[in-house]
Amino acid sequence: MLKYSIRRLLGMIPMLILVSIVVFSLAKMMPGDSLSGEIDPLNTNPEYIAEMREKLGYNDPIHIQYFDWITGFAQGDFGKSTRFKIPVKDVILEKLPNTLFLGLTALFITYVLAFMMGMYSGRKPYTIGDNAIAGINYIMLAIPSFVAAVFAIYLFSFKLDWFPFGGSVDILVEKGTMEYWFSRLHHVLLPALVLGAMSTASYTQFLRNDIIENSRKDFVRTARAKGTPMKKIYNVHILRNSIIPLVTFLGFDFAALIGGAIITESIFTYPGIGQLFLESILSRDYPTLMALTMLLSVLTLVGNLIADILYGVVDPRIRLD
Amino acid sequence: MASSTTLTQQKKPERSLSPWQIARKKFFKNKLAMVSSVYILVVTILALLAPFLAPYLSPSPDIVKVNIGSMNIPPNSEHILGTDKSGRDVLTRLFYGGRISLLVGFSATLMVITLGTLVGSIAGFFGGIVDNILMRFTDLVLNFPFLVFVMVLNTILYGIVDGLWVLIIVIGVLSWGGVARLVRSKILAEKENEYILAALSIGCSPVKVIWKHLLPNVMSTIIVQATLIFASMIVAESALSYLGFGVPQSTPSWGIMLASANEPDVLQGKPWIWMPPAIALTLTILSINFIGEGLKDALNPKSLR
Repeated sequence: MLKYSIRRLLGMIPMLILVSIVVFSLAKMMPGDSLSGEIDPLNTNPEYIAEMREKLGYNDPIHIQYFDWITGFAQGDFGKSTRFKIPVKDVILEKLPNTLFLGLTALFITYVLAFMMGMYSGRKPYTIGDNAIAGINYIMLAIPSFVAAVFAIYLFSFKLDWFPFGGSVDILVEKGTMEYWFSRLHHVLLPALVLGAMSTASYTQFLRNDIIENSRKDFVRTARAKGTPMKKIYNVHILRNSIIPLVTFLGFDFAALIGGAIITESIFTYPGIGQLFLESILSRDYPTLMALTMLLSVLTLVGNLIADILYGVVDPRIRLD
Repeated sequence: MASSTTLTQQKKPERSLSPWQIARKKFFKNKLAMVSSVYILVVTILALLAPFLAPYLSPSPDIVKVNIGSMNIPPNSEHILGTDKSGRDVLTRLFYGGRISLLVGFSATLMVITLGTLVGSIAGFFGGIVDNILMRFTDLVLNFPFLVFVMVLNTILYGIVDGLWVLIIVIGVLSWGGVARLVRSKILAEKENEYILAALSIGCSPVKVIWKHLLPNVMSTIIVQATLIFASMIVAESALSYLGFGVPQSTPSWGIMLASANEPDVLQGKPWIWMPPAIALTLTILSINFIGEGLKDALNPKSLR
């Protein structure tokens, strides 16, 4: 297992380098550069600008610029945001907790919903309840997440007035109090529900099919013959076997959550990484954009790596190839 | 007597159905898929005929020009679905929007399928080092976060290429990885068959073997995949347009129309502006998915019915 993990990890290195080259080239292709963020904006003396260009390395050959950037990136130096005039790292660190909170809540919702529906459907396949769940899943898969978000805001925020329609926290509450945390939870629930519902359908159907398949296996018959209650067979014996393959989905969810977060955060005006990314494109804040693109790519890579490794843990045959 | 009737029956043996005929029969029996096909057909026809229908739909058939006189009118007999905040008829724009959404979806799908099949079949057929290089490249493409790169590429290409085609090319170039992997795995399994060996041994060129012998046999998989990709491309177009990174703002696509829901005022008080595109889009995606499932069932020789 260790050998397999190390091999996968080493296989990621060329991929990382390639991705970083692509990101860097894309950033260089964009109109303009991040010079204006680094220098004194009031000093328009061309000599000063030329001097700063030279000093900050904008005139270096392209491979040296790449090398400077990538070593800086690896050490956590992402440059300075042209929009906020503070290090990109600080901007990202400020927004990151919000996105993490949103992502984790969404994952939690996905798992809870999928487990409830999947276990019910798996226990009672081909009944009305199962068909209803399959129908709901079909619709959830088909509705694009941004349409679902718009409908959710319309229904739950405006018509029913259950949830706020934007932001991450009520501005009036004091930071650190119990009320503050409740307010944050209140704000995150609706976007997390929309984000979480995206992957619920595939989880549910997977769990259902796996439970049905497992319920026909010998160990279930043995357990029944010994007189184990059906409830215990389903909740302990079968579920334990069906959860394992689900774990591998976790890695792929990383990538899905990244894309989903950009859309959901923008619709719910939730101040997280996704919104920061959109704004950095719109305001041409290239250092932030570059750092985020690289960061999100690395996260996707890591997500796929985790999925691969978990797959190896679950299915020993994979490790051998 | 009895034997003579059987004889006459035997004289005219019924031709057994071809695989495609069987598939068509199975597909026609699938009610959900049929209803969906009819819906997609209607949407396509309406979208194609939009310029001809426009004058009959409303008194203001112009889809771009701002009409100050008729802003935010709720649905009535003159404007069946009302008008939007710039005074343009929602129904007319809905038809035109379908045009753009379907066009982008279709072109991008064509591109994804062509690229994916090309890379996948070459990698699968030749194997070895070609396979290795192509598949590592595919891995690279698959490892990019899709939305992030679409937006970045869009920003770079904006202004260089005509707006609509930027989007089609960008989403096409970034999504062929899955198809390539799928086609490769199918080709890998298919090329082990004896008829491929026979074709090669009588001197067929690799191009001919791939084109004439391998691709027809993996076609059913590609067709099913194409329907599902068609749906996801339409979603990608509308989501990007909604965020402001898709087709140009002046083009009426369903995503652009939905973007008006960004204003809380429109979202809350004027549902007739954003609900029609939302519903049209959802139904389209749902239908395409049903058609895809129907095709999958129909083209699978092992499935019942």
